[in-house]
Amino acid sequence: MFLKKKPMWGEKKKLKSSYDVVLIGGGLHSLATAYYLAKDHGITDVAIIEKNYIGYGGAGRNTAIVRANQRTQYNVPLYNEALKLWPVLTKDLDYNLMFNNCGNLNLMHSEAAMKAARMTIATAQFHGVESHLIDAKEAKELVPALNISEDITFPIHGAMFHPPGGVVRHDAVVWGLAKGAAKLGVEIHQQTEATGINTQNGRITGVVTDKGTISCKQCLVSAGGYSAALINGFLGIKLPISVLTIQAMVTQPIKPLLDHVVSSGAYHCYANQTLKGEIATGAHMDQWPNYTTLNTAHYIKHQAEALSEFLPALRGLRFMRIWGGLADMTPDMAPIMDGNDQYEGFFMDCGWGYFGFKSCSAVGKHMAAFMATNECPEILKPFNLKRYQEHKLMGETAALVNYTPDN
Amino acid sequence: MALTLTCPICGERNGYEFRYGGEEKGPRPEEDGLTPEKWVEYVHMNECKAGVQEEWWFHRDGCGSWFKTFRDTTTNLEQKQEG
Ligand SMILES: Cc1cc2nc3c(=O)[nH]c(=O)nc-3n(C[C@H](O)[C@H](O)[C@H](O)COP(=O)(O)OP(=O)(O)OC[C@H]3O[C@@H](n4cnc5c(N)ncnc54)[C@H](O)[C@@H]3O)c2cc1C
Ligand SMILES: [Zn+2]
Repeated sequence: MFLKKKPMWGEKKKLKSSYDVVLIGGGLHSLATAYYLAKDHGITDVAIIEKNYIGYGGAGRNTAIVRANQRTQYNVPLYNEALKLWPVLTKDLDYNLMFNNCGNLNLMHSEAAMKAARMTIATAQFHGVESHLIDAKEAKELVPALNISEDITFPIHGAMFHPPGGVVRHDAVVWGLAKGAAKLGVEIHQQTEATGINTQNGRITGVVTDKGTISCKQCLVSAGGYSAALINGFLGIKLPISVLTIQAMVTQPIKPLLDHVVSSGAYHCYANQTLKGEIATGAHMDQWPNYTTLNTAHYIKHQAEALSEFLPALRGLRFMRIWGGLADMTPDMAPIMDGNDQYEGFFMDCGWGYFGFKSCSAVGKHMAAFMATNECPEILKPFNLKRYQEHKLMGETAALVNYTPDN
Repeated sequence: MALTLTCPICGERNGYEFRYGGEEKGPRPEEDGLTPEKWVEYVHMNECKAGVQEEWWFHRDGCGSWFKTFRDTTTNLEQKQEG
């Protein structure tokens, strides 16, 4: 019963020599874009080219956290739309995405952090996103397992509480979107590697793959952490991206303890309890660019130390599984979405770092509209590549992040 | 994966003693006739090579040297250059 030969997203088709649209990478962003190209715009002559299998990249490795409490006026509305789409997609795709809007608690460990949180909360509230500042006692009431004593490395001063956020089952999103897109006619070609993009007179003419060359009018590169290397390799377009391994792990399962996503910038640690009872937890990125996707003893120890300080009930638990994936980081911690600029018909959607899961639903919708109409939707305009040379970096981070030579 | 780097003064040391300083991009562009395109290329743009790249490191928790080395970004292994 479980080993049906036919995958959920349809019979394996033979790769054609031509499609209207080719999407490179079988992650969340390609799948969502394909789904909305077909659903909203009736564009179904679409092929997704995936080197490994759908969900091989960040799509199947992320820690599934969704929220809309970002820092700038460009980002908050986009993520808010994405957050509101989970229940809609669950219905439309007829697929249980297991959205658990348990709320996010972002711990603050200094008065300066509390001040910064006030600004972020004001931005959220201005955009109609629920977000509150709470003090340490209130945080303890929400999450009794929190250690609010003063004798830890980073005592808790309070928290930014964002009730509508939570977790969504990431694999279900991959499978649901793949099923939805395939049903509408999109072809998903796994084990097919894109090796080049052909251009002529400033236009895209096709995509070269290890299974043959495909001619197309439009091509999107949304290959997660691999995008920057592919775009530079195929078209010689360099991007302001650094690719770093980011690690995650889960503990052995325990009885219900945490019913929020708890995160801490100072401890570089976030945690939530899965429906299976495991504590799923993630750390910061490696401190230097690499494509290894391997775990390090350094971070496993870091994670254990951080968790046993602010959630001391977890002391003595064992990590059961560990894994890593790629984060493609930009200097302003905001993504790059662009099209028809460097080449007619060339689109890119990358630089999603560790926030490409929570955004994929809304981004797919808008990238599809961009490709279908060749008009960039207002909401995507600030995210173009030119912003770096125009020095219009977004303020998603107060200071540049720690992998550039500048700090 | 762990990383060992060779500081020109201190020799082979644990990678966590160092801070990454970016891809080697050649000299800072001349101010004369500098365009936003050239400047952004120098300041922000990367090749993000999956393979051996030349890059800068700073021996932060050591002697304070800045130096260049070659490293394979897919294995985190430093590539010793002969001669
Ligand atoms: C450990 C971890 C935790 C994370 N946690 C969160 C989180 O809690 N919330 C959140 O919002 N985001 C999170 N993220 C980020 C998120 O997972 C990514 O931003 C997002 O998945 C990337 O976009 P994608 O799914 O479209 O691409 P990916 O899933 O990364 O897909 C890229 C695909 O491209 C394929 N590919 C590569 N080269 C080629 C080629 N030449 N030809 C064809 N195909 C190719 C790969 O095989 C891969 O399947 C996390 C990431 C990691 C690694
Ligand atoms: Zn040294």
